[in-house]
Amino acid sequence: MSETVIEVKNLIKNYGDFRAVDGISFEVRKGEVFSILGPNGAGKTTTVEIMECLRKPSSGEVKVLGFDIAHQQNDIRKRVGILPQDFNTYDLLTVKENIDYFGVMFDRSIPTQELLDAVNLNDKKDEYFKNLSGGLKQRVGVAIAMVNDPDIIFLDEPTTGLDPKARREVWEVVKDLKRKGKTVILTTHYMEEAEVLSDRLAIMNGGRFIAYDTPRAIIKEHGYGTLCIIRSANDKAMQLLTATGLSVKRKDGDVEVHMDDKSSLHKVVEVLQDPDAYYDEITVKRSSLEDVFLKLTGKRIEDDTGAKA
Amino acid sequence: MKSRIGTDLMATAKMFVRNKGAMFWTLAFPIFLIVIFGAIFSSTGTGSYTLNVQNLDHGPLSQSFMDSLNQTGVVKIVMVDPSADPDTYIKDNSVTNFMIIPGNFTQNIALNSTATIELRQDRTQSAANIMASVVGQVVNHYNLNLSGGKEHIAIHSGSIVTNNLTFLDFFLPGVIGLTAMTNCVFYMQGVQSRYFATGIFRKLSTTPFTRFEWLISRALWQTVVVFMSVAAILIVGMLFFNVHITLTWMSIVLIIVGGLMFTGLGMILSRFAKDEETANAAASAVTFPMMFLGGSFFDLSASPEWLQMVASIMPLTYMNNGLRDTMIYGNDAAALFNLGILAVVAVVFVVIGVYVSKWTDD
Repeated sequence: MSETVIEVKNLIKNYGDFRAVDGISFEVRKGEVFSILGPNGAGKTTTVEIMECLRKPSSGEVKVLGFDIAHQQNDIRKRVGILPQDFNTYDLLTVKENIDYFGVMFDRSIPTQELLDAVNLNDKKDEYFKNLSGGLKQRVGVAIAMVNDPDIIFLDEPTTGLDPKARREVWEVVKDLKRKGKTVILTTHYMEEAEVLSDRLAIMNGGRFIAYDTPRAIIKEHGYGTLCIIRSANDKAMQLLTATGLSVKRKDGDVEVHMDDKSSLHKVVEVLQDPDAYYDEITVKRSSLEDVFLKLTGKRIEDDTGAKA
Repeated sequence: MKSRIGTDLMATAKMFVRNKGAMFWTLAFPIFLIVIFGAIFSSTGTGSYTLNVQNLDHGPLSQSFMDSLNQTGVVKIVMVDPSADPDTYIKDNSVTNFMIIPGNFTQNIALNSTATIELRQDRTQSAANIMASVVGQVVNHYNLNLSGGKEHIAIHSGSIVTNNLTFLDFFLPGVIGLTAMTNCVFYMQGVQSRYFATGIFRKLSTTPFTRFEWLISRALWQTVVVFMSVAAILIVGMLFFNVHITLTWMSIVLIIVGGLMFTGLGMILSRFAKDEETANAAASAVTFPMMFLGGSFFDLSASPEWLQMVASIMPLTYMNNGLRDTMIYGNDAAALFNLGILAVVAVVFVVIGVYVSKWTDD
């Protein structure tokens, strides 16, 4: 197992009477993309902002790169890169000037040109920050987060509010960071994003981790496995499917068959050869993080920046 | 290695130059004040206030008395025909100040008895007080001379007016004080609430750049901006309104310390207002009374005592007084007293400002 770069034990954060983070423990390993997934208000940002030394925990122990967040904030700040939520920088400085500016703020910095290339912003380097689109602004933010050549990069909801194309551009940058060997901590409320990008992830709700593992393991543990859905099936089809001995369920006009193993699908297709069995289509669906979340919390993550789940 | 403060200062300068609107209003506000007041007070020619004189005396002393009035530079004398009826003349010409020198003026003085001049004034006009005091001073000067009084008293009282200063000269240090106040207070509250709201502070707090370094950079920048405004004020004043006063070393120190003080005040104000609009309203609420009661527009020495009490707790009063002391009267000792008060208040404001200002909400 590779080296642990972040260690969190029994972290609690209260805002007055409200407990935003409720006793979570986890660790992040070197070189991985670790995501915290959850609806707005789940406590994701509070958790990462504590690791970033932007907030103080109410109790618990947090170590980043071996440094204690309570006493060694300066050591941490120098070694981590942060893209805060709703990242913003100086409107009337150009992309290049903004990166240069933050380069000076850290004692060590990698050349601006290298960063511009890394986030593919070379042709926009002389544009004022205010004139950039949302996706480009986030890429500037990532470039600035990399300016001190950090070991760990925090990306707090880097794609919230972006259109699908811009979101995928940011994904490419994240994958690139991973290729460079950086450890990335990502928060998001997009299921797909977490599933595509993360090596390991935690699903957070109401200040707690309700699942914490690799996406595949989480889905395997909490998901329903694989379903075969026969749309608009008639009673004859239902009858034949029940006779297979597979786990079959009527849902509205459809029939859902639970796939126990690879042979299950074969059985389904075989019995439906019967000329009296009618149906519209057969689809096979693997359970997703969305389904896991729905199962664990009984609610959906809203795919909307303003919605609270 | 480049310094953080220097880099922040350079970035701020770049953004200022690129924000044409901000640059324009920073310089335009003091220039507007100067142009408006300059136009009002320079339109009356050599003397600022008109005095209509009906001289019924034919002797040399009445003529010399009028010459003395003329030399003050404050009075513009308009001669009235001795045969005119004063009441009709005043009514027909809407006269504010009307002086009648009696026919026995020279004769009575020569005989060592009292010569009475008559001064009729429209007391509803603010200029009436000034005219009464100017005439009074010239009369005192005469009386002292005639009675063999000591010369230095007369010289002292004359020194204010014989410098040939115009009203605008008196007004100008007040404009500098006022400009320093509005620039620093509004800039600091504006930039702090904006950076807080837009998340720039949050980003900055992830770097080793400290709040204290940032505040030093702000204070330095404000000093630069205030001196740009002062330069604009002086250039416009000298080119178009024949302003005579210039910066002294003491005035430069006063402007720097005053600017720091108002920067501190702006820091405190923005900290206690939740959002930009509230912070702006708070800044207006604090600067507005000072604008009028801090002695920028009016001399408050003739106002009621309670109002003077109010003025005495306003920091702008000391900045204005100090600037007038050094720029107009050349009295650096008095300016130093005002500088001392400003410095103490500046330290208090900046320390509180640094202590209370925050970059993140936790």
